[in-house]
Amino acid sequence: MTGFELLVPASVEEAVAALRAGAADPPAVIAGGTDLLLDIDDGRVDPRRVLSLRRLPWRSLDWTDGALTVGSTLPLRSLEDDPEVRRRLPGLWQAVHAVGSVALRHRATLGGNLGRAAPASDLVPMLLALDAEVDLVGPRGDRRLSVDAFVRASRRTALLPDELIRSVRIPESRPSAYLWQRVRPANDISQIAVGVAFSPRERRWSVAVGGMPPRPALLAEVAHDLGDATPDDGVLRAAAVRASRAVSITSDQRASEEYRRRLVATLLLRAVRAVPLDGEGRP
Amino acid sequence: MSVAARSDLEVKLAGRAEYGADLELPGMLWGALVPSPVAHGKIRHVDLGGARALPGVVAVGADDLATLLPRGQGDAERPIFPADEVAYRNQPLAAVAAPTLAEARRAAAAVRVDIEPLPALVDLESEFPDWPGPDAARSPHIITHVHARHGDLEEAFRTADHVVEETYRTSSVHHVALEPHACVASVVGDRWTVRTTTQTPFGIREDLSLLLGVPEASVVVEGTWVGGGFGGKGASLLEPYALLLSRAAGRPVRLALDYRQEFELGRTTLPAVIRLATAVKAGRIVGRRVRLLLDTGSSLPGRDWSTGYSIGFLLGPYTTAAFEVEGYGVRTNKPAFGPHRAPFAPQCAFAVESHLGEVARVAGIDPVRFRADHLWRDGDTTPMGQAVGPFGLGAALAAATAVADRWRAEAPADHGVGIGLGFWSTGTGAGGEARLVLTPTELRVEQGEREIGSGSVQRGLVAVAERALGLPPERIRVDYLSTADAPFDSGVFGSRTVGALGRAVVEAATALRADLAARSGVAARDVSLAVEAGEIVCRSPNGRRTVRSLLTAEEASRGIVASGRHFAKSNTIDERRVVAGSFYPFTDFTGAAHVAEVSVDRETGAVRVERYAAFQDIGTVVDPATARGQVEGGIAMGLGIALTEEALWSDDGRLLNPHLLDYRIPTLGEVPAPEVTFVEGFPGAGPFGAKGLGEPPIIPVPATVAAAVRDACGAHVTELPLSAERVARTLKLL
Repeated sequence: MTGFELLVPASVEEAVAALRAGAADPPAVIAGGTDLLLDIDDGRVDPRRVLSLRRLPWRSLDWTDGALTVGSTLPLRSLEDDPEVRRRLPGLWQAVHAVGSVALRHRATLGGNLGRAAPASDLVPMLLALDAEVDLVGPRGDRRLSVDAFVRASRRTALLPDELIRSVRIPESRPSAYLWQRVRPANDISQIAVGVAFSPRERRWSVAVGGMPPRPALLAEVAHDLGDATPDDGVLRAAAVRASRAVSITSDQRASEEYRRRLVATLLLRAVRAVPLDGEGRP
Repeated sequence: MSVAARSDLEVKLAGRAEYGADLELPGMLWGALVPSPVAHGKIRHVDLGGARALPGVVAVGADDLATLLPRGQGDAERPIFPADEVAYRNQPLAAVAAPTLAEARRAAAAVRVDIEPLPALVDLESEFPDWPGPDAARSPHIITHVHARHGDLEEAFRTADHVVEETYRTSSVHHVALEPHACVASVVGDRWTVRTTTQTPFGIREDLSLLLGVPEASVVVEGTWVGGGFGGKGASLLEPYALLLSRAAGRPVRLALDYRQEFELGRTTLPAVIRLATAVKAGRIVGRRVRLLLDTGSSLPGRDWSTGYSIGFLLGPYTTAAFEVEGYGVRTNKPAFGPHRAPFAPQCAFAVESHLGEVARVAGIDPVRFRADHLWRDGDTTPMGQAVGPFGLGAALAAATAVADRWRAEAPADHGVGIGLGFWSTGTGAGGEARLVLTPTELRVEQGEREIGSGSVQRGLVAVAERALGLPPERIRVDYLSTADAPFDSGVFGSRTVGALGRAVVEAATALRADLAARSGVAARDVSLAVEAGEIVCRSPNGRRTVRSLLTAEEASRGIVASGRHFAKSNTIDERRVVAGSFYPFTDFTGAAHVAEVSVDRETGAVRVERYAAFQDIGTVVDPATARGQVEGGIAMGLGIALTEEALWSDDGRLLNPHLLDYRIPTLGEVPAPEVTFVEGFPGAGPFGAKGLGEPPIIPVPATVAAAVRDACGAHVTELPLSAERVARTLKLL
């Protein structure tokens, strides 16, 4: 590390202007810094300028018309401590609770997790299963993308160099669950994680798998197989087998491909069973 | 039970304790190492010109040693910088110093290194997929061969009711001390001074004297507070480079590792393959064959201590009629094998205990009874012909069995309970000397060790002095002296501080008591010390006198001084049983029996330790809180070896997980609060019959967890660590 200039804009306009002015050599954007600072410390990046979002008014948590909007710089711990989040989006709560450690969650943010797009993110799979959307601001105005469209690949997103993530929107409360397996339960990243959610409005399941490169993936066909209510055991087992085959998986230090495929099936079975639907498919 | 607070906690908790990485001296330069980019190669050229062209930079390499060292290097086989061949990746090829760390790193990057890569040996099984035959044993990679046998092994195996042969594999684990290696060197004239974070100031002095070719009297090692040692800070690592840089620069030079380098350069336990075969007849072990293939890293031929030392743990703590034990040390392109808390004993116990569990199963005998029937007892001799002496492992096992039976009765269906045993030899080391200085208001313990976090110096030596002289702990202070001022001591390793240096404290206390008795005109046994009105007083049948009034004129400024020494007794092995190589003579046996209750997820193989209990043969408890802390710490560290810790290398010798995210030590969430019970009454050679305690509690942990996993789900895992994936494979889920 050679040292950097820290920019701390006081308004969104100022932040966007600063990004635009430095478009040739865009500054690294920092919120909680739990991922960026590791990269700087390990010498993977050596930014000359770092733009901090800490003075922007984006630490909000808002429920409107059944949709949850989370400001991009709200610490994950605040999200985790919100009883409504836990009640209405149990899968999201479980995913947030799974990130790092308590100390880390006091710093880390939802916007940072999405913006950094780590391949083993514990939040992206659950956000995918909840059909979450990302609201961006930039010099050409605001735009909204689905998380699926936003996260392109490992460490790659649709965010343009002069854009910032303002908030994340989850359209409705959903019975949901997030399960993971790790080498070490605490302070680790997942070998495989499975997020499942049921939309009461559309009467459909969504299933996402994370923990493996290059990025978390939605499994639309598997979700379709689960039907429009609590699946019976045979349907569920068939879907679990299909899921374990459908996912693109490689071996790495954390787990072999073989073991990961087994985990996908096991965790999917358990996650769907953990979602609290009654026999009618209502929450 | 009284709990005395450790007097070092105040400075540590307040952040005032100065650790190695905190050291800064006026005018100091910051150092950096130039690492080898390959694991094995022929050095064509190391060009320091680019670094030297930078302002304020000092650089030293192999070519500079002749000018910097007055008598040349002292150890031709162990050059400070390699001149011809690189032995492991990141091996320092040169060192630089500059006014700031950033400048030093830039200077290190400016050194041009030209190396012709050679094939690297990283995985010992790639070279020796089977046991080395007569030809393979002449391989240049084999640097050590140890071999011993006794009795008619062929007959034992031929006539046995059951023969079980198995292969075990163990992994490389790191110390993960919170504080990385760090030192500041300052060379002035012919005085080579280094302040460093070390377990063994005198050991470092000896090593530096050898490496630098300067007399020991010219080298001064000043220890700092140590943020965890675990064996990793018992030999010189950065000190020679820092001293050379200081010599070249004429200024103090600081050299410290970052955590990645700590993983990459640390010398620690390396992988091994262990082959065990056991013959049983009529319920008794009649023959054992033990074979060890140990990765010794870049240890030098003739200098590898690890193979002959480690192999002793594969024979015990059980009797056998006949045996053969043979081991090869294999040189690979990694940093040299180095000690890690009870070096390699946890891995050996894992193999031996798991294997004997399997033998018992095949023979249809209860595995606990089978082991109990073969345990060493006082009066026995070990397979290598050593006297066992007082040994509390049988008593520990009996107590552990009762707990295991209770837990098993209470456990849910997906839980399992296992017992593992381990033994250890304490009382090692060349010796130690301590000085007691009695002043009118306090007793000082002057000595040459450093407190490494366990409490063995700061609390252990105080507790010994407290018990020997009857003074309250708040009146006893440990003084840490540099090697220039301290009496000699081997250092903190081998669980020896209380056992060996503590004996020196007792000897010094005895001398002090005799001195005071003479001054009071009574017999030594009639003298006692106490504190009255803030003054230390000496009581005797002739009345009471303050220490102040007993001092002679010369003693007025310093106090009454008494010295004590202790040299460890040496045990002997039966040399007639040795075929080749040298075996380590263990002394003063101690043992531990552990119980674990685990749950195993039968679909994923994930293991969770639910309950844990330890029964520790200790001789005598010198300080209950410190002793308990050692057992708790040993268990936590052992659970890492058992379940999650594993250093991984690429085929070209690159450490793949030099990071705390990828090298996983347990967190508190994975370590249940253990039940700790001390088994007293089997005295050792330490003060009041104490036995060393730093290492024994880690030894049975992987074996215990493996036994519990087997009990829970039937998985007989023969490779460490017991990761979920490995358990899943053993359960044939994959």
